[in-house]
Amino acid sequence: MEITVLFFGILAEVTKTGFRHYSNVRSFEDLKLKIQDEFPETVHYNYRIAVNKELIDSDPLIKDGDEIALLPPFAGG
Amino acid sequence: MTNKYLITGPVTREVLNDLMGSFGEDLSAGGHSLFIGQVRADSTGGRRVSAIEYSAYENMVNKEADKIIEGIYSSFNDVRSVKIIHSTGVVRAGEISLFVLVSAGHRRQAIEACETIVEQIKERLPVWKQEIFEDSTREWKSNNFA
Repeated sequence: MEITVLFFGILAEVTKTGFRHYSNVRSFEDLKLKIQDEFPETVHYNYRIAVNKELIDSDPLIKDGDEIALLPPFAGG
Repeated sequence: MTNKYLITGPVTREVLNDLMGSFGEDLSAGGHSLFIGQVRADSTGGRRVSAIEYSAYENMVNKEADKIIEGIYSSFNDVRSVKIIHSTGVVRAGEISLFVLVSAGHRRQAIEACETIVEQIKERLPVWKQEIFEDSTREWKSNNFA
C-alpha cells in the first residue's frame, strides 16, 4: 500500500522536507522503519502521530492512501 | 485567509476591526469575553526575540478547532458564538498572533469558555513556532504540558 507521511515543525527542518510518499508499506511498524532508514535523525525527537488528521495514541492499523503526520509538541497561541 | 481559523501574518488592526464588528449582532448575548495573544520579546542567553514564525498542519487545525468549539457548545449552554483566529508565518514582537472571542448570554460562561478555549488551543492545535532573535538565530519552542 501507498502512504503519505507529513513532517511538521522541527521534523520538517531536520528531514528538509514536508512530505514523503512510501510504497509497499506492510504495516505501521514497517513504515516507521522506512522513515528511520531514510531520516535517522528523527529518532532523536519526540512526536505524536495523526492518521488522516486524527491524533492516535497507539500504533495504528493503516490502509492504502492514509495520510500519516509526525507532530512534534505543539506550540500554538 | 487560507483557512477559517488561520491568517497569514499578524492579526492586524483591520482584521480586529472586522472581527469586533460582530458585537451587537446577537441581541440575546449579554457578555463577550476576548483573549488577544501577543508575541513577547523574551530574552534568553543575551538574545532577544524579534519575531515568531508559526507553521501549522492546516487541515488538522480546521478539524481540531471545530472539535474544540463543538466541545464548548456542549459544556457551556449559555455560549452563543465563538471566533478563533491564529496566525501562521512571521509575527513580530508586539504584534497579535491569536484572537479568541466568546459571546454568551451572561458573563460567567463567556469568561470561563474563553479561558478553556485558549488552553485547548495551546494543547490541541497542531501549530509550531520558531523564535527569531534579533541576531537572526532561530529556536523551536513548544508549549509545556508537564
